[in-house]
Amino acid sequence: MKRDLRERLGKEWLFFDGGMGTLLQEKGLQGGELPERWNQTHPDIIRELHVRYLEAGADVFNANTFGLNSLKFPGEVEVLASAAVKIAKEARVQAGRPDAYIAIDIGPTGKLLEPLGDLSFDDAVELFAEVIRAGAAAGGDLVLIETMSDTYEAKAAVLAAKENTDLPVIVTCVFDGKGKMLTGGTVDSAVAMLEGLGVDALGINCSLGPEQMLPLAKRMVWRASVPVVINPNAGLPRNENGQTVYDVGPEEFAAAMGAIADLGVQALGGCCGTTPEHIRRMVETVLDKPFHPNTPKYYTVVSSFSTAVTAGRKPVIVGERINPTGKKRFKQALRDNDIDYILSQGLEQEDAGAEILDVNVGLPEIDEPRLMREVVTKLQGVTGLPLQLDTTNIQALEAGLRYYNGKAMVNSVNGKDEVIDQVMPLVKKYGGVLVGLTLDEDGIPETAEGRVRIAQKIYEAADEYGIPRKDIVIDGLCLTASSDTSAAKTTLETVRRIREEFHGHTILGVSNISFGLPQRQIINSAFLTMALMKGLSFAIMNPNSSQMMAAYRAYLALADLDPRCEGFIAACGDMQITVNSGTKAAPAGETAGGKEGAMSLMTAIEKGLSGPAGQLMREALASRDPLSIVNDELIPALDKVGQGFEKGTVFLPQLLMSAEAAKAAFEVAKEAMADKPREQKGKVIVATVKGDIHDIGKNIVKVMLENYGYDVLDLGKDVPPEVVVERAVSENVPLVGLSALMTTTVVSMEETIRQIRQVRPEIKVVVGGAVMTQEYADRIGADYYAKDAMATVRCADEVFGTGGES
Amino acid sequence: MIPETDRREIERYLGYKGIHAADPQISAMIGLCMEDIRRESSPGAVCQTFPLVWEGEEACRFAGIRTVSRNLMQNLRGCEEVVLMAVTLGPGPDRLIRRAEVQNMLKACVYQAAGAAAVEAWCEDVNEKIRKEAEEKGLYTRPRFSPGYGDFPLEVQRDFERVLQMRKKIGIALTDSLLMTPTKSVTAVIGLSREKRPCHKQGCESCGMAGSCPFSGFRECEARRNPYQSQGQMLLTLTSYDPCGDGG
Repeated sequence: MKRDLRERLGKEWLFFDGGMGTLLQEKGLQGGELPERWNQTHPDIIRELHVRYLEAGADVFNANTFGLNSLKFPGEVEVLASAAVKIAKEARVQAGRPDAYIAIDIGPTGKLLEPLGDLSFDDAVELFAEVIRAGAAAGGDLVLIETMSDTYEAKAAVLAAKENTDLPVIVTCVFDGKGKMLTGGTVDSAVAMLEGLGVDALGINCSLGPEQMLPLAKRMVWRASVPVVINPNAGLPRNENGQTVYDVGPEEFAAAMGAIADLGVQALGGCCGTTPEHIRRMVETVLDKPFHPNTPKYYTVVSSFSTAVTAGRKPVIVGERINPTGKKRFKQALRDNDIDYILSQGLEQEDAGAEILDVNVGLPEIDEPRLMREVVTKLQGVTGLPLQLDTTNIQALEAGLRYYNGKAMVNSVNGKDEVIDQVMPLVKKYGGVLVGLTLDEDGIPETAEGRVRIAQKIYEAADEYGIPRKDIVIDGLCLTASSDTSAAKTTLETVRRIREEFHGHTILGVSNISFGLPQRQIINSAFLTMALMKGLSFAIMNPNSSQMMAAYRAYLALADLDPRCEGFIAACGDMQITVNSGTKAAPAGETAGGKEGAMSLMTAIEKGLSGPAGQLMREALASRDPLSIVNDELIPALDKVGQGFEKGTVFLPQLLMSAEAAKAAFEVAKEAMADKPREQKGKVIVATVKGDIHDIGKNIVKVMLENYGYDVLDLGKDVPPEVVVERAVSENVPLVGLSALMTTTVVSMEETIRQIRQVRPEIKVVVGGAVMTQEYADRIGADYYAKDAMATVRCADEVFGTGGES
Repeated sequence: MIPETDRREIERYLGYKGIHAADPQISAMIGLCMEDIRRESSPGAVCQTFPLVWEGEEACRFAGIRTVSRNLMQNLRGCEEVVLMAVTLGPGPDRLIRRAEVQNMLKACVYQAAGAAAVEAWCEDVNEKIRKEAEEKGLYTRPRFSPGYGDFPLEVQRDFERVLQMRKKIGIALTDSLLMTPTKSVTAVIGLSREKRPCHKQGCESCGMAGSCPFSGFRECEARRNPYQSQGQMLLTLTSYDPCGDGG
């Protein structure tokens, strides 16, 4: 009688089967022929292979569903998956191995997920779900998600499995010789995310032979708490007469797998190039060895697709700037859906030294779940820093957690039963490091004792929900020292007690403490140092503040966390200490104009000097209104450069440098105008059409249009015609700009224009892109053809009748 | 590790023509961006040789592909084998470009140009290995020819995936519109022939840009690598600077 796999997995040696592809090729599978087709055409051959692996001693064997999905087999997934499991069941009977487990084998879709490729996360989940449902209905015993080179795709598959079955889920990923996944993930980051998602076991397969895989297996055993599965190839692939061959024979393979078994892994098998004989020898070798279950690990890890941040002696900086609280400009960006502004706030903090980014996009009047999803997905397209999802909106939290590629930090839960019951199930499902605020229905306790009691309650609630305590980080809460001078003492005492009594990690937003006081950074940096002394693990702060970063770096140097003080010297060696908060000085090397005041705003823009341009705009704002500066200086300067570009005396890089300088100045003006309704020349939509993923040209156009005072609604790339039409209508936009790179995608440009014409014939369309010509533009019915970004600006000026103003 | 890239080529991609060169500030940025691209690249390559079968003048077949592309057939005339190749710089350069697009558009363009030059150099490197191996067998290589050039349809990309297993082996995946991701990737056919034939501007006429392409004249077969280049579109054509015509 077959025992539940979960009763055996991680408690005794289990063996997986070996390679399938190479053996099928020996049986006549043509290069490029899809193996899953053979479930219908050659079931006998598939069955025989299964039988040979079962006879060799495999306990878990893969139904022939690795590449099965509806992209490759539209309309046939269910039939082929059922056939695969049926063949596997027959093999089990034939081999006399009723104890063996049939894995529904899930390989990559063959496409890359956004933002790298064009497959959406939701579509990926559905592609996997289809196979898993069919495989489970046909009687599969587990879901084996394997050969994953992108953690995002692995996450989609895990969610598909968990949302459609109760079967055990095992995930094995592919790493290269340097220990990296295709998308940059490491053993540490993959383990953090997958354990967070609640997989039953995880491991490594393919790409490497056992010898090369050994150090990675070792790392995985060291980081993972769940059972570890190792399925290497029979050595590194080699090309021989156009055929891929593997050189490690059964005996050598078995010996190498014996060494991997000694590391303390719990299950072993093979991948490409391994045969039933490889598995037989391996089983013989390993069965004689003592089995060790994996041990629980106590690392607190936050991860992104590429990076794992582990809490430890070295405190972690969480950048607080993606947050609208008290920031007019940021609120405006949220209302305008100005995602790029939000992203730039993140990148600025990364450059300043943040290790995790807090993401708070909550405003009462906006659709926070939608925005949270968009900001999270866009942020992970541009930065590898892990994110902290900061919201009280439970739908927004779920959206963030679902679309996040990694194990996020969650800010936050607290001692209120209602909040615990909402937040903890989500953290249990998606994984995460959960911040627990020490407040409850009665507010914030005045004493450390009261706060520790709430922390205790949060830990116990986590136990109940099955969230490991290592994934709870306690926020002892900072109240303002100006209203209660014992506030800091209470907070610090809470930090100490959590550390000492619970061996727990702590987090604090260190800036609250100084609210209502002058020179806040002096108080903040002193408080930061005090909290770090008490063992604070995570500091939520503004990394752009040089004073705060100096305090942090000084702490590291003095706490023996900065070898030879190198970090401190590198960061602070040339620092000028000023106790003046707020204004940011121009970066060195950008004061080419000489002494302050020697250069006009126009010159700064013409020369493309972003630092001085911003500074000069700030000075000009003291006496003049923003709009007149933009119209009288900024745009004319840009125009001069633009004309040079049109004449061919100025080249693209200089044009863009001026555009960046104008943007920097414009950004300062925007801050000044953030609370007033803005006067814009008009609204323009830009989009790269469906099927096209190259949009740098469109992005240049966007920058130029914005600099010329247009409100640009950027729909991105690969945009379906319907979306362009819908937004053009809902936003009441008179001009739509479309870009396409290739002849093949000009077709979708034509379709987009056709659909616009159908609904709103009065909307003007300007087209551009590498393949585009005036003739082409006429043929597909565009109103204007723009050969470059300047031409698009001229075109907009014509449509809006604004050309004369500048 | 990808080979050194030609700085002058990056400047050309950025629109500098003839005697004009980048000023020191831009030049410094080009240097930094080249370094970043090299550091963030994880180059991969896969290739395989197949016999070439002619169906008279009408069509030819290789690797399970039957094509009637006149431009390709002209290129392969006299060949008996072809090599299918695919190379990529991996997802790193794309990430650098996306990141710069948020912070500094100029930098994004320089990354784009440096990435294009780097994938071209990597392509050239792999091509050179193929050339040497072929010569050991007494065969000569023809200029590489990519899906999307002239009348060689982009649909052939699916065959490249089928035959070379690009997704699994080096991480190249096709979009629905048959572009490659990561974008700094190239696929190409290289003909192998017993007769030595000098490389000439095979692709210029095929892309219809003969005489008007800003790249022609710089280097042998330069235009061939920019099939979507058209005159006077300095800004928007940056989108097309994926040489070797993966179409992107």
